[in-house]
Amino acid sequence: MEIIDKIGKLPDTVQSFAKRSKNLFPPIAKNCIYRLLVNKITWIVVAILLLPCVLGVVIYFQTDEDRQVQESNGEKIYYDEDGDLIHEDAREEFLNIFDLFVISFVAIIMAIIFSSELINEEFENKTMQLLRTTPIHPFEIILHRYLAGVISMFAILGLNAIIFYYTVMMPSGTHGILENLDVLLMVLQILLFESLAFIAIFCVFTTYLEKPYLVGIIYWIVWESFVSTQNYQQLTITHYLNSMIFDSTKAMGWDVEASDFNLVNSNEQVIATEPFTAMLVIVIVAILSLILASRGIANRQF
Amino acid sequence: MNIKLEQVTKNYGDVQGISNINLEVNKGITGILGPNGAGKSTTMKIILGLSRPSRGRVTVDGRNPFDDWELKKDFGFVPEYDCFYEHMSGLEFVSYFLRMHDCQKEEAEERAIEALSELGLEEAMERKINTYSRGMRQKTKVARATVFNPEVLVMDEPFQGADPTTRILLMKKMTEWAENGKTILISSHILHDIQSLTDNIALINNGKMLAHGNRHEIRNLINVPRPISIVPVKDGNLRKLAKRLLDEKWTKATSIDEDTNELTVETTQTEDVYLEIPKILQKEKITVERIYSEDDSLDSLYAKLVEGHQWK
Repeated sequence: MEIIDKIGKLPDTVQSFAKRSKNLFPPIAKNCIYRLLVNKITWIVVAILLLPCVLGVVIYFQTDEDRQVQESNGEKIYYDEDGDLIHEDAREEFLNIFDLFVISFVAIIMAIIFSSELINEEFENKTMQLLRTTPIHPFEIILHRYLAGVISMFAILGLNAIIFYYTVMMPSGTHGILENLDVLLMVLQILLFESLAFIAIFCVFTTYLEKPYLVGIIYWIVWESFVSTQNYQQLTITHYLNSMIFDSTKAMGWDVEASDFNLVNSNEQVIATEPFTAMLVIVIVAILSLILASRGIANRQF
Repeated sequence: MNIKLEQVTKNYGDVQGISNINLEVNKGITGILGPNGAGKSTTMKIILGLSRPSRGRVTVDGRNPFDDWELKKDFGFVPEYDCFYEHMSGLEFVSYFLRMHDCQKEEAEERAIEALSELGLEEAMERKINTYSRGMRQKTKVARATVFNPEVLVMDEPFQGADPTTRILLMKKMTEWAENGKTILISSHILHDIQSLTDNIALINNGKMLAHGNRHEIRNLINVPRPISIVPVKDGNLRKLAKRLLDEKWTKATSIDEDTNELTVETTQTEDVYLEIPKILQKEKITVERIYSEDDSLDSLYAKLVEGHQWK
């Protein structure tokens, strides 16, 4: 009977939660985003992210003379010295470098740093104790911080993706840049889901563990880097992100194989997950992680 | 509101924070006293629901503060330590926590300005907290804890680092809040401050509750003779009066301080003494200026309870 009562009250609870969130989210987000943006480590990561962009600009000027141009319907189309379309090579370079450098490395490090700043710093500065003496529910404490973290991470990495895309695609001219915007959109989609998943997972670490940085790095190396290439890779977030990339690149007509994204088992069978299922799994993992993290905050003793 | 701790024990691993604490706090001010590490902060955190008792039960108006989030609408907490978002101004900080209490932006700002101004921070409230002095920080903490008009106010060392003006101001505010029916639990190392605020105390040492209730009643429970001084007595009358008082059954000992011309009677029956001494003085035709006992002070009581084990 109690459960039925609770279900009956669910619409009211959701409505009240949404109303509260409208008031709670702006100040929490403002505070969190400010803290993330003034964090020195954030700027170190941003500087690291800009390195490939700088490299792209350097390569552009170095190879400028090797480009050949043809005009078609008033558009300039660029070819390399072998006569291949530059934008087709460039888009693959963009995806490969971004996948290897940002999606598989920097983004995870950034998620560890952000979740630690959002939650662990509040424990260390003891502001969490003040929050725990207010009527705000632990789930609200975690949710608004999490959303602020996702917005910040997605904004930084997304902006970086746009800049990097532009610098890599520059040699292919306006035609090449516009022709491959779907690659950029796919990368932005991956970044969004990556932010949603990893910040939530690392929020769990920060609420339960004393040294979330260390555990986060171990998780990244052992779980997301090693296990994600093994038979049980469905237990990793990387598998679902790779599945999304694989499906999108195939849909864009690229010549790719599941093995290019490690989406095969030891019997060489394709084990890629459908993109919608992959997104759903990531969202469910994020929600479950937030619930777990909120329990961590609720049970934390001071 | 009624706060009740029943047989509350809190262990941190092998270390015992508090042990078998029984305490009931009602409206008005209650001072919680004890040396460093006695368990005052642990007791406060358990009341606030920041820590769960290892054993025993804590209730605030019959509800469990650890799990009941709604109950926290009524809690104001001034921690001993600094816990700020240093990049915020005092106004932003207080408004921020008001928003956690469901206040809309404009209302939160208005109330924060009012609370900070009342505590004398009208000029500094727009400045970042990292530029604040200790006194300003203390006032900001108090403003944050009281701005939403909580029913229960838990203040851990609220006078720490406060200058005399701030201290007087805070004490005045506390008295006002208590008069308005709030339940205030306050810890301080400065016993004189507590003594000026309340007679209702809880004394904790080594995680154990030594005594709680009215400090005069607690003193009467201690089976140690209490010195009562009579000053000044004319030189010639000193020995005469001392001898006379020794005839009384309630006198345990008398002593004379020739330098200050003061006679001290030690007794365990204070009430009898205060009734009988005037009669004796009148009968013996001895004039005195005043009769007093320093032993009535909270300092004395604290010293006896914390340092001694003299219990009935």
